[in-house]
Amino acid sequence: MQISYYLPPTSLSNEELEKEYASPSWTAAKIYRKTGIKSRRIVTNELASDLAVGAGRKLFAEYKISPSDIDFVILCTQSPDYYLPTTACIVQDKLGIPTVTGAFDYNLGCSGYIYGLATAKGFLSAGIAKNVLLITAETYTKHIHPLDRSTRTVFGDGASATLLTPEDIQSIGQFVFGTDGNGAKNLIVPSGAMAMPRTNETAEKKEDLSGNIRSLDNLYMNGPEIYAFTLRTVPGLIKTILLKNSISMDELDYVILHQANKLVLETLRDKLEIPEDKYCIDVEELGNTVSSTIPIAIKRAIDKKNSKVNAGCKILIAGFGVGYSWGGTILTL
Amino acid sequence: MTIDEKLNLIAETLDADRKNINSLTVLKTLDEWDSMGTISIISMLDRKFGKVLTADEIAELKTVQDILDMMCA
Repeated sequence: MQISYYLPPTSLSNEELEKEYASPSWTAAKIYRKTGIKSRRIVTNELASDLAVGAGRKLFAEYKISPSDIDFVILCTQSPDYYLPTTACIVQDKLGIPTVTGAFDYNLGCSGYIYGLATAKGFLSAGIAKNVLLITAETYTKHIHPLDRSTRTVFGDGASATLLTPEDIQSIGQFVFGTDGNGAKNLIVPSGAMAMPRTNETAEKKEDLSGNIRSLDNLYMNGPEIYAFTLRTVPGLIKTILLKNSISMDELDYVILHQANKLVLETLRDKLEIPEDKYCIDVEELGNTVSSTIPIAIKRAIDKKNSKVNAGCKILIAGFGVGYSWGGTILTL
Repeated sequence: MTIDEKLNLIAETLDADRKNINSLTVLKTLDEWDSMGTISIISMLDRKFGKVLTADEIAELKTVQDILDMMCA
């Protein structure tokens, strides 16, 4: 599996947030203690397509791939350039990928990479494509109100690009999926689409009980409920992934879950009794980059100095969150 | 665990002053009862009592007594 990632150059540190918020409950140290995040990359004017193109170009350069090798582009984003046309079409054009390729977007967040891998595996297995470029490109910060500390401290922007070929079919295991639309309201941008078009009213800033400010045009996250959802759902998801792939936790080399924040990752690790050296927590410099967290974490784990994560390793990956949507599989690197 | 020990645990979990925590305390009067505080309580209840709250149960946490009611094995 060939993976690269691209992060926007601008960084937002806890120290900068501390200065902005000027509140004793939001010092740099407290933000780090609550989230495990020290800084996160954020876009300024860049769009999801720009991050996608950045990741694609890095992939091509790193693995000496020519754009003309690609015959399908699949792009995961929840902050597309436009409602229409498809952002993947724009990315095909900017990356110089031939016009004989297929391309489409899909709208998922934290579970996005898992669904993208499943789609790619299906296309490859059915002979629909031979060189699938799977991109995740997320700019959640564009949805976030600067004075909403519950989200601004947690999310970062970033993109990944993965090339998948028929050789990768056997490296991608069996999938487990889950969906519960009952949780839709807990992680949502309420306005801007067909259910609630944008108006002057939707743009009105309101303060919540914790002193966070947002409008209906901004991202809303019910932190406690998402946290409880994660604790209710992920242990069962992991057990099912292991069962479906006829593998035990002991036989796994590494576990990479969606990198939401340090607290929930540590809680899950303790609940599942996974040894620390087998478990990925890599949020400190990135924050939650939504569908990009898993591919970025995989790449960073492989590239780390003295890494034990290398060819032949069996990794469990699982994404969970907005939707609610979840899923996972086992990868053999 | 005695009630006193449970109240100590709640105060510790919320990073709050123990003298502000008694069974009648209304949670929203505490500075520490924000979404992080709620999450810390959800985490504590799961870790120590094996209980993961549902969305409805979270919404119904209004007083310290409500948390105490959840703190049983």
